[in-house]
Parts: sequence; C-alpha cells; structure tokens
Amino acid sequence: MDLNIKNLWVVYIGGVEIWITETIVNTWIIMAILILLAVIARIRMTRFSLVPRGFQNVIETVVELFDNFAAGALGSSLSYIAPWFFMVFAFILSSSLFSVFGLRAPTADWATTFTLAFATFILMLFMGFRHRKGGYLKSFFGPHPIFFPLNLIGELAKPVSLSFRLFGNMLSGTIILAIYYQLTPWLMQIGIPALMHAFFDVVIGALQTYIFVFISFMYIRGAAADN
Amino acid sequence: MLTLTVFLTQAAPEGRLFGLDNQTVIQIAIQLFNAIVLAVALSVILYKPAKEFLRKRSDGIQSKINEAETAAAKANELIAEYERKLKAIDQEREKILEEARVKAYEESKQMLAEARQEASEIKKRAMESMAEEKKRLKEEARLYIIEVAAEMAKKYLAEAIDDAVQERIFEETIAQLEEAQWRN
Repeated sequence: MDLNIKNLWVVYIGGVEIWITETIVNTWIIMAILILLAVIARIRMTRFSLVPRGFQNVIETVVELFDNFAAGALGSSLSYIAPWFFMVFAFILSSSLFSVFGLRAPTADWATTFTLAFATFILMLFMGFRHRKGGYLKSFFGPHPIFFPLNLIGELAKPVSLSFRLFGNMLSGTIILAIYYQLTPWLMQIGIPALMHAFFDVVIGALQTYIFVFISFMYIRGAAADN
Repeated sequence: MLTLTVFLTQAAPEGRLFGLDNQTVIQIAIQLFNAIVLAVALSVILYKPAKEFLRKRSDGIQSKINEAETAAAKANELIAEYERKLKAIDQEREKILEEARVKAYEESKQMLAEARQEASEIKKRAMESMAEEKKRLKEEARLYIIEVAAEMAKKYLAEAIDDAVQERIFEETIAQLEEAQWRN
C-alpha cells in the first residue's frame, strides 16, 4: 500500500498547473454516490406515507437525528447552518466507509480536512459577526487588550487543530494498515485486515466524523452565542 | 483565453503525503468548490425536502392532536353539562317525589277521614233503617196476632166449640204465633 497521494492527471488552466490527485477523484466518486443516493431518496420521498416504513424510516431517521444533533449542539437560533454540516457529516463518514472498499479516504489528505476546517472557521467568523456584531470583535480584546495576540492566535489555531486532528486520525489508520500489509506474511493478510479496516475505517471514522462536526458546532456556537 | 490541457498519469509528478505550496492551495480551492457543490446538492435534493416533509407531518399530527384535544375539551364540557342537568333532574325528581309523597299522604289522610265519616253515616243510616224495620215488623206482628185472634174468634163462633175442638184451635193458633215469631 502506497502512503502517498497519487497525482492522476495534470491540468493546465490559464497557464496554471493543477494536479488532479487521487483525493480529488475519490471526492468526486463519493460526491457522485452521495448525490445519487440523495436523488433516489428524493424520488422515493414523493411516495412517503404518514406512517414511515423501510427506506422512509432510514431517511427520516438520518435527517431527524442530525437535525436534533445540530439543534442541540448549536441551539435553535443557529441551526439554520445545519445543511452545511449535514454535508460535512455525510462526506467524512462516507470517506471512512468507502475506504473499507479500498478507496483512499479523501479525509486522509490534509487539503481536504483543512478545507472543511477552513469552512468552519469562515462560518465561525461570519456567525460571530452576524449574531454578536461588534461584541464578537471585542471578544478578541478580552479580558484585556494585551491578550489580543493570544486570542487571535487561539482563533487562527482552531481550523489548523481541527484539520490536523481529522487528518491525523484518518491517516493513522491508513499508515497502520500499510505497515501491517508490509510487515506481515500473506497468510496474516486474510481476515485480520478486514477487522482492522472495520475498526479504523468504520469505528474510528464514525467517531472522528462526530468529533469534527461537534467541535465545529462548539466553535460556531462559542463565536455566535452572546456570553 | 483559458487553455485546458490534460496530461496522462505518466506525466504527472510524483505523489506526496503532505505539502504546503501552491498546489496545496489549489487542492484546497478545488475541495472547497466540491464541498460547496455537495452541500448545495444534498441540501436542495435531500435535507431541506426531508425536513419540510417532517415539519409538515409534525404540523399535521400536531393539528390533529389539537383537534382531538379541542374535541375532548368539548366532550368534557358536554359531560359536565349533562352531569349538571342530571343532578338538577335528580333534585327535581326528589322534590317532585317528596311533594307527591306529602300530597298523597294528605290526600290519603283526607280520604280516610271521609271514608270513616261515610262509613259512620252508612252505619248510622243502617241502624236507623234497622230500627224502623224492627218497628215495622212489630207492628206487622201485632196486626197479624189481631188477625189470627179474630180468625180464631170467627172459627169459635162458627163451630160448636167443644173441648177437643177448642184444644185443637188453641194449638193451631199457638203454632201459627210461634211460626210468626220465628220469622221475625
């Protein structure tokens, strides 16, 4: 197993070299699958009944669970940003789950995790200024203006720490599995890796998805809620 | 004008695990675009319609619950009203029964008194009638005795009365008198 992220193509747009990496292609694959599932769900939704059954139960449970989670963590006044995090949740979890089938998780690439963390950071700033206006800016100078540099670094560190946390956890599973494949004889590579994939990709993936989204909610709530 | 050229994998540079350069920034920009597209797609196609469906269903159920609660409240009001009416009817019935009892008692008392008075009058009239009848029978008996005595005297005078005949006439007369007394 190669730990490096492969560059599949190089594209030049306006003279700018752009690498189309394995991460981007896998992201497109996951996007296509998620959008296809969403379209199927949307088509089935037209036949949804008052009493849910089968597939309707799955869709309703997923949406309702996430909506309750978002409303609980963010508060009802901020829960209108939940659709973005629904995508984040679905994407990170799908990335982990699809890696069970040998697809390198896009979240095992720092560019992806930083993108998601950066979006959280932008949302945090936006929500802070939108809901607290000058109060949010003032919070950078508390409890004394001398703390401004520290507060600024603290805020800027948030997307970095958030992105590296997810990246590190996702990559660690990939590295451990790669080392295992490198160091063990072929006999040991039957059955056992499946359990390791289940643990690192499914269990750790689900846990990290929850952690990423929950911490994002906390950052945004901390910025937007007037303390 | 933008020019787009795609090279095959062989021409692509060696892969890497991590880097901080222009390509990373470009990767981040592409992933951000991908994320925005995915977020919009999932939100428009699935999340918002599903939430809308759930909201409408919740509203519908809530509306039915409200209707049921309103109906239940009305039913409770009706029950309370009927119970009040039943209680009033019971009180009215008790009152009517009590009045009827009192009235019946008074009437029975009056009827009894009237019946007693009537019976007393009937008895009195019967006693008077009996007294008159007794008087009339005495008079009749007296007249009959006179008639029998006159008959005896007539027979005595008509026949040559000897002792045996006299005895027989006497016995017959006495027998007739006894018979007349027994009838009275």
